[in-house]
Amino acid sequence: MANLLWLQGGACSGNTMSFLNAEEPSACDLVTDFGINVLWQPSLGLELGDDVKAILEKCISGEIQLDIFVFEGTVINAPNGTGEWNRFCGEPMKNWVQKLAAAAQFVVAIGDCATWGGIPATAPNPSESQGLQFLKRAKGGALGGGFVSKAGLPVINIPGCPAHPDWVTQILVAVATGRAGDLTLDEFQRPKTFFSSFTQTGCTRNMHFAYKVSTTAFGQRKGCLFYDLGCRGPMTHSPCNRILWNRVSSKTRAGMPCLGCTEPEFPFFDLAPGTVFKTQTVMGVPKDLPEGVDKKGYVKLTAAAKGAAPAWAEEDIFVV
Amino acid sequence: MVEQPGVGRSEADFIARYGVTPEKADHATLLEMIKDIFEEGLETKVEPFPETDREFGRILDDLRAMGKNELRAKLIESGWLLEPYGEEEMRCQECMYYLVHKRWCDLPELDLPAEPDWWCRLWRI
Repeated sequence: MANLLWLQGGACSGNTMSFLNAEEPSACDLVTDFGINVLWQPSLGLELGDDVKAILEKCISGEIQLDIFVFEGTVINAPNGTGEWNRFCGEPMKNWVQKLAAAAQFVVAIGDCATWGGIPATAPNPSESQGLQFLKRAKGGALGGGFVSKAGLPVINIPGCPAHPDWVTQILVAVATGRAGDLTLDEFQRPKTFFSSFTQTGCTRNMHFAYKVSTTAFGQRKGCLFYDLGCRGPMTHSPCNRILWNRVSSKTRAGMPCLGCTEPEFPFFDLAPGTVFKTQTVMGVPKDLPEGVDKKGYVKLTAAAKGAAPAWAEEDIFVV
Repeated sequence: MVEQPGVGRSEADFIARYGVTPEKADHATLLEMIKDIFEEGLETKVEPFPETDREFGRILDDLRAMGKNELRAKLIESGWLLEPYGEEEMRCQECMYYLVHKRWCDLPELDLPAEPDWWCRLWRI
């Protein structure tokens, strides 16, 4: 039995909604098959008010062993570092986060807001939001860069806006069943099993990427979304096209550019007008190239690919 | 802007010379129209190159307002050239909007035939 406590800070509840849609395993499977005891969760917990506070205090005192502390949303520090804009059970949420993280065997940050600040931390960041252990790319965050939980791991970051439900439940199962030692984390403390490959890995538009044929308008099924519509699939680490959403699709499969929501900089370019759904270029060359590719190589690759592209690559092969 | 002579000043001009408007013209006729317009000395807005996406977007907005038969105006606004451009010899062949087999610019706001060695200021790679 592993006790799990889930709290929300500056959040839209999107990750809770996502979590409740998990299938492999489902949220119910966590309880029935994997021995996870959900002490409290904002959408599932039956307790209110002082009863919730009592659970939190018992976790902090050790009366209840807190095995997994899950946090969704940003840690809000406004105004002026007090955290008073986000009070919970009688005190700023940021205080609960500090005390519970110190008591927990494992700390898991779910979603962009909890991992690196996400949309709330976008400049000018009026809520003074932080992620648990990062603020965008900078290590530190609410718990500090050196934080490790009782089990000796830093915060396990599962980013996304929202995180895919099965990323969440599979990591929770790994931790709850004593296999946390099998987890390897990348430089942003994301489990490598999910975040080593790219959103582009498995994308159905890869052949159009290879032959440099662009999608030029939303709704087209031919073409690659990277060249014009701002898709960040080639430089975003996520398994969105390996572990499909709702088991059937992904943003790029549905004709929607990847927004790069598993990366610390999300939302990119601080959401400045003209930066969303539009590939940013300098003299016609994309500012952000596929990871590991330089400008010279990109230009050469494009020339070669265009020259070698077969005629069918220019057709909408999905329309018959 | 200096008044420029040449074909395609109106739909009637196109019909008189080609028997068809650009909107109804086939690939070969459209190519011929473009070449003829340039042969008569058309100068296009090659510069400024849209260095930001907002500038790029403004050109697209202007093009979007043009009808299919406003071929001259489209060529002018897009900075169309019948040769590569710049030290790096940028050309349609490498542009992501260019369909090399169809020899066609697939940018919806242009949607015109083009030769691989041509160029316009909406070029992107």
